[in-house]
Amino acid sequence: MNTNNSGHSVDIVEVTKTFANVTAVHKVSLNIRKGEFMTLLGPSGCGKTTLLNMVAGFETQTSGAIRIDGKDISDVPPFMRETGMVFQSYALFPHMNVFDNIAFGLRMRKLPAKEIKAEVERALDMMKLSGMEGRRVRQLSGGQQQRIALARAIVIRPKVLLLDEPLSALDKNLRLQMQVELKELHQKTGLTTIFVTHDQGEALSLSDRVVVMSRGEVQQVSAPIELYTQPANGFVASFIGEINALPKARCQKSGQDFRFEVCPEISLNGRQPARLELKDGQMVHIFIRPEHIEIAGPRHNGANIVKGNVAAHIYQGTHTQTRVNVPGIGLVELRTKGAAAIDQAPLGSEIALSVPLDEAVILPA
Amino acid sequence: MWRQTLFWVIVSCILFYMTIPAIVVVMTSFNPGEILSFPPNGFSLRWYEKALTYPDFRGAFRTGLIVALISSTLALVIGTSFAFLVVRYVFPGKNLLEGILSSPLIIPHFTTGFGFLLLGAHLNLNQTLTIIIMTHVVLVLPFVARAVYVSLLNIDPNFERSAANLGASPFMVLSRITVPLIIPGMAGGWLVASILSLTEFSASLYVTASRTQTLPVAMYNYIREYTDPTVAAVSALLIIATMLILMAANHFLGLRKILAIDSH
Amino acid sequence: MSKRPFLIPFLVPAILVAVIFLAALAEILQYSLREFIPGSLDVGGFTLDNFARIYRPVYFKAVINTFVLSLATAFFTLILSYPIAFALVRTKVEWVRTLLILLSITPLFTGEIVRTYAWMLVLGTNGFLNTMLLDIGVISEPVTFMYTRAGVVIALVQFAMPVMIIILATAISHINTDYEKAAANLGARPWTVITRVVIPLTMPGIISGFIVIFAWTMSAFATPQLIGGGKVLMISNAIYLQGFSALNFPFAATLSVIALISAFASLALMKLIANRLERQTAIH
Repeated sequence: MNTNNSGHSVDIVEVTKTFANVTAVHKVSLNIRKGEFMTLLGPSGCGKTTLLNMVAGFETQTSGAIRIDGKDISDVPPFMRETGMVFQSYALFPHMNVFDNIAFGLRMRKLPAKEIKAEVERALDMMKLSGMEGRRVRQLSGGQQQRIALARAIVIRPKVLLLDEPLSALDKNLRLQMQVELKELHQKTGLTTIFVTHDQGEALSLSDRVVVMSRGEVQQVSAPIELYTQPANGFVASFIGEINALPKARCQKSGQDFRFEVCPEISLNGRQPARLELKDGQMVHIFIRPEHIEIAGPRHNGANIVKGNVAAHIYQGTHTQTRVNVPGIGLVELRTKGAAAIDQAPLGSEIALSVPLDEAVILPA
Repeated sequence: MWRQTLFWVIVSCILFYMTIPAIVVVMTSFNPGEILSFPPNGFSLRWYEKALTYPDFRGAFRTGLIVALISSTLALVIGTSFAFLVVRYVFPGKNLLEGILSSPLIIPHFTTGFGFLLLGAHLNLNQTLTIIIMTHVVLVLPFVARAVYVSLLNIDPNFERSAANLGASPFMVLSRITVPLIIPGMAGGWLVASILSLTEFSASLYVTASRTQTLPVAMYNYIREYTDPTVAAVSALLIIATMLILMAANHFLGLRKILAIDSH
Repeated sequence: MSKRPFLIPFLVPAILVAVIFLAALAEILQYSLREFIPGSLDVGGFTLDNFARIYRPVYFKAVINTFVLSLATAFFTLILSYPIAFALVRTKVEWVRTLLILLSITPLFTGEIVRTYAWMLVLGTNGFLNTMLLDIGVISEPVTFMYTRAGVVIALVQFAMPVMIIILATAISHINTDYEKAAANLGARPWTVITRVVIPLTMPGIISGFIVIFAWTMSAFATPQLIGGGKVLMISNAIYLQGFSALNFPFAATLSVIALISAFASLALMKLIANRLERQTAIH
């Protein structure tokens, strides 16, 4: 089962898929490294599942190439692709028991019965399912079905493990537990893995790298932390986590000082952003996350303070999300610990907010 | 891939088997000679002319049409109300009644026909339109009830509940909510019922007499006496009419939906 | 107000139909127990003689014949319908799907007589099939299809296919395509996917289709009557012969009762076998 030394790379080169006259995937290129856990993230209809199906061979790309270890597999039929897929529905064969389900791929490979038995037992052991061989799949819980689907996919020692929203059918607690198990499994097997999800939490916690897709195109390919802190564009910024998008602002540059004029009444101080060379007078989009905005107190000096009226509090247990209507900007959301803000700033009252731009995302307009 | 090609070749062969009788009928109907020959040795409409002017066929077609329209409409009313009861109500004897009314699907048509022949004789109604219509109502009722039953099952009961919650009386709920939602099922069921009634043969053979015979019975009697292709002309007309009706039904109602065939 | 306001008005017509139908069936039962008076349409007193008569080989043979022909028809119908149903459900090309539906459903609505007559034209000694085979040179003299069991089955199978296709297509359309994808992904070739996944998963549809066609064929009348031409006798034809040629209504009624009993008995038997089969595939 341990394939640490035998990971395989997957190259997707300029792949396009058109259905009738709808382009589902447009010129996507990705290099997935040996043993990497790569996540395809995006809203439904963004083309991530189509891309996965093309790797598995269930769909054929309209143009472009898909390579495993440098070898083009475009003409290889699904049953010879050596990919192990876990379906959103699990697709465990309902007319077979657990053993027969896991053994199916090995039987297709005509392994001797003895070997099949040993392999299936090892897989069951690895997924903590020993003793379940004779069970019917319909008698199993969602989490057990999930593990059997995984066992069935890895027991054939695939070159790539393909996971199509495998956790979406589970309830929240089980989903968190399975995330941990998936991560352990990946570390144990070292399998190159392509994981499709629309859940940013799963993507951020599991992946080595995340591919954000929208409308069939790749928006950004990055490690999780970079994705959150340095989104490449407005779509990624607002898709990953929550973020306030301020109105278009004009950059005023004098030496090392930057001011951003959001509206005639409001200008915010800032610094040179990491990967963007700003010119004086340039228009920019500023994005700032709710947790970086604070209710202004004595320790804040006069800079970057804006005033507005409290429009709503949304109490969430660990924190409170507060919406403030700021003239010239619109609704601004901030996140504060606990429930203190609800008493501190009653609905309708005027409060001052501190809006530092140190961790804001600034992108050219 | 060669497997795909092989599969479609097999499918085409089977379809050929299914359609060859219809093709041969149409070919024969245009054949000028009395004796059937392949390939046809010419083109003629004389059998169509004969079929359309033959008094037996004309009378039988009229009778059959009257029987089909009345019996499928009666079956629509009875079947719809019964399907409604089955889906929405619980009452004693429900399963028994359901079993009796759907048993004509299993009981051979000739048995049903024979039974109605004897019943007709008993009631002094033998071989009248009344007994023929009774027979056909019994035979097509399960098809209408089934079609309406399926569309009733597909209605979210919350539609009816919310109408009632908004103050609609049971009758208003039925006429403004339920019936409009099952109209496609009713239309499909009625259409299937009238086609089945129009083409029903085995039971009709028992319950009709020469003055009340329906078209299939008249055709049967003709085949037993003559060998010329007049019946081929009638058959060709029926096949083409059926195809056109089904194409229209497919266009407006969606055959796949009526037949509940849809891929997931 | 009543909680079931439509119960009575909706129930009465249904009950009326049921009563009329039961009355018709009761008439048959009543006649089957009456004495036949030759040369008269009136019947005599109650007797069990009619039931004693059915042991004669000719009627016994008709029952066996009906059973065998129905089995054969159901079997061949299943084999030929499966590929069509599969193609119908799984093709992605809309016009192919529409064409398949229209071609496979139309025969259902053209009626027994039109279809039987059409098969007479195809299967006759000078019919389409013989002319074709002679022209190609496969045979040197006409093959007899008419008045044979083979001819009757050839026609009955086509007659039964639309219903079988509908039943199978419904069953196939209810399988999630993920099962087929998963099998392919695990290395199963297309044929293996069919035999190991698709067919087992559609087993309930296969069984119910088989039973429905079996029952349906048992009640076939026009096809054995015209294509069998009296040489292939099914129960339906024996009844007609008694009722309309011999005018022996009591005995025709007896045969009808036998037909009903054997229809229900063989259905029950097949359900039994089917249940066992389903349990076996379930344990697998």
